[in-house]
Amino acid sequence: MLQNELFDNVIRDFNAGYWELYNDPDKEKWSQKFYESTGYSQQELDPTIDYFLENLIHKEDVDVFRDNFLNYKKNNINFKQHIKILTKEGVYKLYRCATNDELPVNIKSEINLLFFFEVKLQPEQDIAKDNFYYKETAQMTATGSWYVDFKKRKSYWDFETRRILEYPDDYIPSLKDSANYYAEDCQQQAADCFFNCAMAGTPFDTEIKMVTANKRVFWVRAIGKPVYNENKEIIGIRGVFQDIDDIKRKEIRLQKSMDIIASQNSRLFNFAHIVSHNLRSHTSNLSLLVQLIEDIDNPEEKIELVNEVKQISLSLNTTIEHLNEIVAIHTNKDQEKKNIKFQDSLNVVLNGIGQTIALSKTKIEVDFKELEEIIYIPAYMESILLNLITNSIKYKHKDRDPLIQIKTYTEEKNKYLKITDNGRGIDMKLFKDKIFGMYKTFHYNKDAVGIGLFLTKNQVESLNGTISVESDVDQGTTFIIEF
Amino acid sequence: MMSSKIGLACIIDDDSMYVNLIKKIIEAKSLCQNLMVFKNGEEALNYFEVILNNLDKKSIPEIIFLDINMPVMDGWEFLEGFTKIKNKLGKTITLYIVSSSINPIDIERAKSINSVKDYLIKPVTIEDLESIFLNQPA
Repeated sequence: MLQNELFDNVIRDFNAGYWELYNDPDKEKWSQKFYESTGYSQQELDPTIDYFLENLIHKEDVDVFRDNFLNYKKNNINFKQHIKILTKEGVYKLYRCATNDELPVNIKSEINLLFFFEVKLQPEQDIAKDNFYYKETAQMTATGSWYVDFKKRKSYWDFETRRILEYPDDYIPSLKDSANYYAEDCQQQAADCFFNCAMAGTPFDTEIKMVTANKRVFWVRAIGKPVYNENKEIIGIRGVFQDIDDIKRKEIRLQKSMDIIASQNSRLFNFAHIVSHNLRSHTSNLSLLVQLIEDIDNPEEKIELVNEVKQISLSLNTTIEHLNEIVAIHTNKDQEKKNIKFQDSLNVVLNGIGQTIALSKTKIEVDFKELEEIIYIPAYMESILLNLITNSIKYKHKDRDPLIQIKTYTEEKNKYLKITDNGRGIDMKLFKDKIFGMYKTFHYNKDAVGIGLFLTKNQVESLNGTISVESDVDQGTTFIIEF
Repeated sequence: MMSSKIGLACIIDDDSMYVNLIKKIIEAKSLCQNLMVFKNGEEALNYFEVILNNLDKKSIPEIIFLDINMPVMDGWEFLEGFTKIKNKLGKTITLYIVSSSINPIDIERAKSINSVKDYLIKPVTIEDLESIFLNQPA
């Protein structure tokens, strides 16, 4: 790999010394150019990281370089750093260290390389400049740095971290209460990141919700990596918080509209399919009939066949009516939503089908205590209740009278309606994907049309809800609607 | 009129209008001697399973016209069950899918199943039916 010509050319153009890093420290190799640049001969140096840290690198740079080096080697985290290296002449030369990510994109190295570019500037000048750039970058990108010191059990924040978290300049961050810097639903995520980083040295780069001093919740990109001591033990974590609230909120909004568009698109597609399929079955019958009429010579038989046209026309009308109902759902969803009481909607439904309920000896148990009302389109609510209740009665168990339990509740701010019956149930293994399909029936009832659940699903979804079903054969069926 | 070669044909379809029309065509053209009709895959599969235990080659159709979209058990599910038992029936059965679905996914799927001879899109023509029945190997 390293003999690769392209690679060699790149290295030559780089005009920089480099190290080849391997898991086995004995295999590590310092390039000829590295020796030339620092003025040593190969015999004079022991090419190991420990030797380098002890003898060659300036002690100001040791700690940060050690962390960067180990993170690069162990976790493949690329880094850039300015360091000063003691040359043969006895003076420190400034180098810019860089890693594989500086290689041109068409060059891939299978091993980690560490480059040392000589920097011609005076070190002092450069460092002052670095500091200026650091502050500019931090402010302009709203990126604050922080450090957690495990030995001193303290955390440190820079000015920008304090600013984005809305704490005063003299605020001292608390390690003990650090969970409180994160939104409640993100505290576990934060704990996991920090724990894994502290224990296993796993760096993290994640999006998380934090809480400012003013209790404002906002989105942050949090990056952290372990800090090592001479013995390669993890003694802390350092990293950055970047305020990405605007971007993240836009992203979430965008994702939401994408979901809505995708679901509308799939409904439209589904509808087009339904239209095509349902109309085709009638038109193909019509065409078959016409062929037959043309083919038959006996006038009496011909007249008989013409009567069949009536039948097809009737079926076609029924289908068109069903399709109209579906279209109506999508045009009606902008109808005025009202605050409606579940009990009121149920009363309307029960008044309409009172006789069916009485004849079938259906018992209905109602529990609307937890959630009494909801903002919804009244006609839809009635239609949903009507469809589910009549379904339960239609598909009652032959050995028992229907019992329907209707309950509303809230869970994690979401509103639910649950309708459970003791009917004959649906075989979920066979029909799971088809329950809400159009013209799908699973029982031998003569009056099964296969439109009710399809309409219900469309009504629920047109108002951005979901409907799900659980069922056991001979036990009963439960429909759960999330509004 | 030519005497029909086919003894028994079978239609599995829930559209009673379609079934009636096909029946009339078969009668008018004397395409086969007997015709049996099942309203969905389950009824048909039950029939074949009974025959399996009580092998009577005269009750096994030479040709099947199978719809895809049906209640209770659709055409795909029927094919799954039918493929398992068809070799035990000891008679060549030619199976056509006849559907109003023009969905390419359905057509591809049908062609990937060995037991399926061809996929016919409704409406079928009288000529189609005639050629299928008359070219059926005896």
